[in-house]
Amino acid sequence: MAEFEAFLDAGGIVEPVDDMPDEYRDQVFRFIELHANSELMGGLTERDWIPKAPGLRRKMAVLAKTQDEIGHAHLLYMVAADLAVKSRTEMLEDLFANRGRFHNVFHYQAVTWADQVAIAYLVDAGALISQQAVFKNCSYGPYKRILRRIVAEEGFHMRHGEEMLLVFAEGSTIQRELFQAALDRWWWPTLHMFGPPSRPDDALLRWHIKSERNEDLRDKFVQKYATLLTGYGFVPPDPELRRDPETGRWTTGEIDWAPLKATLENLGPDSARRVGDAARHWADTRWVREALEAVAERPAA
Amino acid sequence: MNPRSVLHNRPRTVGLDGQNEVWAALRGVDDPEYPGVSIVDLGLVEDVRVEGGRVDVDLVPTFSGCPALAMIAADVRAAIGVLDTVDDIEVRFVHSPVWTPERIAPSAREAIAEHFTVAVTTIGRPTPCPRCGAAALVEESMFGPVRCRSIHRCRSCGERIEVIR
Repeated sequence: MAEFEAFLDAGGIVEPVDDMPDEYRDQVFRFIELHANSELMGGLTERDWIPKAPGLRRKMAVLAKTQDEIGHAHLLYMVAADLAVKSRTEMLEDLFANRGRFHNVFHYQAVTWADQVAIAYLVDAGALISQQAVFKNCSYGPYKRILRRIVAEEGFHMRHGEEMLLVFAEGSTIQRELFQAALDRWWWPTLHMFGPPSRPDDALLRWHIKSERNEDLRDKFVQKYATLLTGYGFVPPDPELRRDPETGRWTTGEIDWAPLKATLENLGPDSARRVGDAARHWADTRWVREALEAVAERPAA
Repeated sequence: MNPRSVLHNRPRTVGLDGQNEVWAALRGVDDPEYPGVSIVDLGLVEDVRVEGGRVDVDLVPTFSGCPALAMIAADVRAAIGVLDTVDDIEVRFVHSPVWTPERIAPSAREAIAEHFTVAVTTIGRPTPCPRCGAAALVEESMFGPVRCRSIHRCRSCGERIEVIR
């Protein structure tokens, strides 16, 4: 293990064919599985908004985002399965049987279209900050290379988010109120998304699967988005959010971690419905998978 | 492969200063999904016409219904809008000719392979893996994260590869 860690510290990249300690394999696997599950759950949620998106352009954007996320999930499940810890089917069955984990933000309900805007503007930005940090220094080769593309595509989602936010920021009083209400719902979950403060012995950091501590990534997000949101005249729902007049740096109030813990146990406000819907889709589409398998097994005519 | 499609990547009527300036500006417009790769090198620019202060740009979408079209058009307008001599810009998406992967310039193919590990379909011979170069890609899914790419697996190095088709 010491030798392996020295290899990682020297910037070594691990490929699936290489020998690696089981603990490393397990950590990388769990990290990618969580990412894959989150892309899938995010894509299913996004899909619900295709018929409700206002206007053809927005529908195209939501449609593309859905495809993007399902496609990312697809790729990530393949890369995770290559680690030979669990098969793709096992990962999916765990997820639908409520034994899988996915990011906290997908355990909440998006109430109005403004929530979708808040998700595109805040959650996607937060995800991008995290993924960029992982991409920069990730020791697992296949994941690093896929992240390069995911980061480019997330950047493209973020531009949609910014464009949609401007419509609300420059819109009517009702539109501004709708976005403020959405911000009240999504601000804290977005801060939670980065995770609790990293422990000094965090294996993900030690093995260069992640390269920055959770609290540093969260701080990056707060510095940028507290400035932008208040600049547009919106108020993050944190009475203790302050900007130091000398350094210009923002500090938040104390973060309540109880809601994050609940989502980690799939006990968030919308967890049961989300997992239930996903499981139902999985069951409803069984015949498609069976038909595809039957075609694949049929001898060529 | 249609040799004309390669020519579309270059200005077809050179000689007008204004036109060269517009092409130079377009070379600075990156595709939103491949930062660092210009829309000119991807073969998205079909034609540029300059008449006085009026510029017409014809773009060919990779796929109809590509979600990035409005963004690309906005980036094109912004890039040309800063030129002194320009006061009117019209960006159109034309549906003929149809975009094919052959329109991608060799330099852009290399950049996409190197930076994004994405391959570009080559007609008439097997598509090499952008990572190990082996002609050993097997299609695993017709659909990837975007409609213009499918997912493959390289039998030689094991990498999951997306291919622009």
